Amino acid sequence: MEEIRIEHVTKDFDGFVAVNDVSLTIHSGELFSFLGPSGCGKTTLLRMIAGFETPRSGRIMIGSADITDIPPYKRQVNTIFQNYSLFPHMSVYDNVAFGLRIRKTPKAEIKDRVEEMLSLVKMADQASKYPDQISGGQKQRIAIARALINKPKVLLLDEPLAALDLKLRQHMLIELMNIHDAVGITFIYVTHDQGEAMSISDRVAVMNHGKIIQAGPPDDIYERPKSIFSAYFIGETNLITGEVTAIEDDYIQLKCPDGTGNFLELDSTYNIKPEVGKELTVSLRPEKIALSRSKPRMQDDINMLKGTIEDILYLGTHTQYIVRVGLLKFRVFSQHKRVYFDDKALDWEESVWLFWHDSDTWLIDEIPEHDISDSAEGGVSHYQRSVKRPAQI
Amino acid sequence: MSKEPRTDWQRQQKQLSKQQKSRNLASWALTAPALLWLIVFFLVPYLIVVIYSFLTPDIYDVKFEFSMDAYRQAFNPDYLRTLFQSFKLATFTTLLCLLLGFPVAYFIARAKDKTKNTLLVFIIIPFWTNLIIRIFSWRIFLAYNGVLNDVLMNIGLISQPLEIMRTDMAVILVMVYVYLPYMILPLYSVLEKLDFTLLQAAMDLGASEVKAFFSITLPLSIEGIFAGSLLVFIPALGAYLIPQLVGNQRTLYLGQVITYKIKNIPRNWPMASALSLTLLFFVAIMLILLFTLYRHRRNRGHA
Repeated sequence: MEEIRIEHVTKDFDGFVAVNDVSLTIHSGELFSFLGPSGCGKTTLLRMIAGFETPRSGRIMIGSADITDIPPYKRQVNTIFQNYSLFPHMSVYDNVAFGLRIRKTPKAEIKDRVEEMLSLVKMADQASKYPDQISGGQKQRIAIARALINKPKVLLLDEPLAALDLKLRQHMLIELMNIHDAVGITFIYVTHDQGEAMSISDRVAVMNHGKIIQAGPPDDIYERPKSIFSAYFIGETNLITGEVTAIEDDYIQLKCPDGTGNFLELDSTYNIKPEVGKELTVSLRPEKIALSRSKPRMQDDINMLKGTIEDILYLGTHTQYIVRVGLLKFRVFSQHKRVYFDDKALDWEESVWLFWHDSDTWLIDEIPEHDISDSAEGGVSHYQRSVKRPAQI
Repeated sequence: MSKEPRTDWQRQQKQLSKQQKSRNLASWALTAPALLWLIVFFLVPYLIVVIYSFLTPDIYDVKFEFSMDAYRQAFNPDYLRTLFQSFKLATFTTLLCLLLGFPVAYFIARAKDKTKNTLLVFIIIPFWTNLIIRIFSWRIFLAYNGVLNDVLMNIGLISQPLEIMRTDMAVILVMVYVYLPYMILPLYSVLEKLDFTLLQAAMDLGASEVKAFFSITLPLSIEGIFAGSLLVFIPALGAYLIPQLVGNQRTLYLGQVITYKIKNIPRNWPMASALSLTLLFFVAIMLILLFTLYRHRRNRGHA
C-alpha cells in the first residue's frame, strides 16, 4: 500500500487556471474527499490522478512511482464516473469482466472474480441484464464492481451519487463506506455536497479557485475552520468582524459591530496572536447559540446578547430563528424540545437572549474581502455581519 | 335490452372508440397521397417489369407469349460474371467508403459545435452540382493529357502519363468520391450521439486507444455502419453512369448490360427485366440477412 503525493501541481485550460500549485499527501487506505463548489478544480485534480489530464507543472506520485505522464490505461487507478459510463452494448457480467479481458486473464479466473465482485456489490443475480434494464443505484454498484475488479491501488469517485435521489444517496453512502472497509484501498472522492464529504471521509480537502483552502478531518474543518471560505462553505455560520479591544490572560475581547456597544469574549487559546486595535473575524455556528426569554445567569465564559426574533423557519429537525441584535442579524438553530426554557414557544417580535460559550466563537485570521452578507441593510458600517445561506437546499 | 351505454365507463369507451376512429381516418387521409404515389409510380411499374420478364422479345417491343428464356439466359455464366463484377464493385466501394468515411465522421462528431456545422456543409456541397458534371470533371482531371498527369509530369514525379482513365481503378475512384457522403452522414449521426466518456472509462479500465476503439466505438456505431453501407452498396450495385463514363468496355457491370438490352436493337425487354429482378432478388436476400443479424444483436439478452 502506497500513499499518493501531489506535488506542486498546476493545470490550466486556455489561460484559466483550474488547479493552482496544489500539494497534498493522501495516505494509503484513506477515504479522502475533495469538496468545493463547481469550477473549484476538484474534478480536474481527480482527472489528473486518473490520467485524463496532464498537469502543466508538478508531479503526481503513487508510492515512489511518478505517474504524471503515464497514460490512464497503464495506471493502477480506476475511476467511477459521474454518469457511471457503463458500456450499453455489454451485459452486467461483460461490463465487470472488461478490465480482466483486456488484460487477457484466463476465462475461469475471470468468472470467479466477476462473481466475487458481483456478490460484493450485491448484484450477483443481475449478471445477464443490460445497463438499460437496471436502476440508477444498481448501475452505481456495477460501476464500482467494474473498477474494483482490477485491484487498483486507488479508486477515484467523481461525484458518484449526484444522479441518485436523496434516500438512495444516503443508502449508497453507507454502502460505499462498507465497500471501502471491505477492500481497504485508497478512495478519493470528489463532491460538491458537504454532507456527503463530511459523513464519508477520513479527511476532507476544501477547495476553491484551484487551491486547497483547508485539509483535515471533517470535524476539524467544521469546528475549527481556518478561513472564511471553509467556515461558510461547510455548514452555516454567523461571521462577525470586529475590533479587538482587550487581550487578557484567559480571554480576548472584541467589540461587537452591532452598534450597541456590546463586547464579545473569545477563548484566548488560539494559535493566532491578536493585537489590540486590529480587526478580527469570528465564526459562530448557529447551533451553538442558545435562546432564552429570561436573562441567563452571568458567567465568566458565556457571551450574551439581547435581540428580537425577526423570522422563524420551521425545518423539521430544527427551527431556524433570525434574531436581530442592533444592526446585526444572527442565525440560530434550535431543536424542538417538549420542554421549553419558558412555558411556550418563541414567537415573532419577541425579545430573547442569545448566549453561547466563549470557546464556540471561533477566530479566523482573515477579514472578508467583500460583503458576504445576505441582506441589504441600511446604516451598517463597513463591519460585516454575515449569515451564510447554503448554495442549495 | 337497449344498446344505449349505461355506465360512465361504457360512455367513455364509446367516446374513446369514436375518437380512435376519427384519428385513424385522419392518418389514412394524410398517408393516402404518398401511398397513391408509391402504388402508381413504384408498385405498378415493378409489376410491369415482372410481367415483361416472362414474355418473349420482339425487335422493338415484346410479344405477349409466356417464356422463361430471359431467366435461363440470366443465369448463364456470362451474365453471372457481370453480376459478380457488380457485387465486387459495390463491395469495394462500400469498404473504401467505410475506411475513408469513418475517420472523417469521427473527426466531425468530435469537433466543436461551430466547426461541426461548417464541416457538414463541406460534406454536402458536392450535392449542389449535377452528378454528370462532376463525373466529367473527373474525366478531365484523370485524362491521359489531363490535369493530374500534367501536374505529375511537371514536378517530375513521372515521365510518362499514367493511364488512369477508362480503367477499373478510375471507376472505383469516382464511385467512392460520389458515394462517400452517403457513408459519412449516417456514421456521423451515430458517432455524434456516442458518449465519449465511455472511451475514457475503457481506457481507465486498461484498454489502449486501439482496444477502446474496437471494443467500444466500433460496436456502438454499428447502426451507422449498417445504414451507411446500405446507402452505398445498393445504389453501387446498379451503377451505370460512372462505369459508362470513366470505365472501359472490357469490364461490364450489370447496370450497363441492362441498359444495352433496352438501348440496342433488337431490344430485349424481357432480358433487361429478368436481370433487374435477379439483382433485386440478391439485394433482398442480403437485406433480409442483415436485418435478421441486426435484430438478433438487439434482442440479445432482452428476452
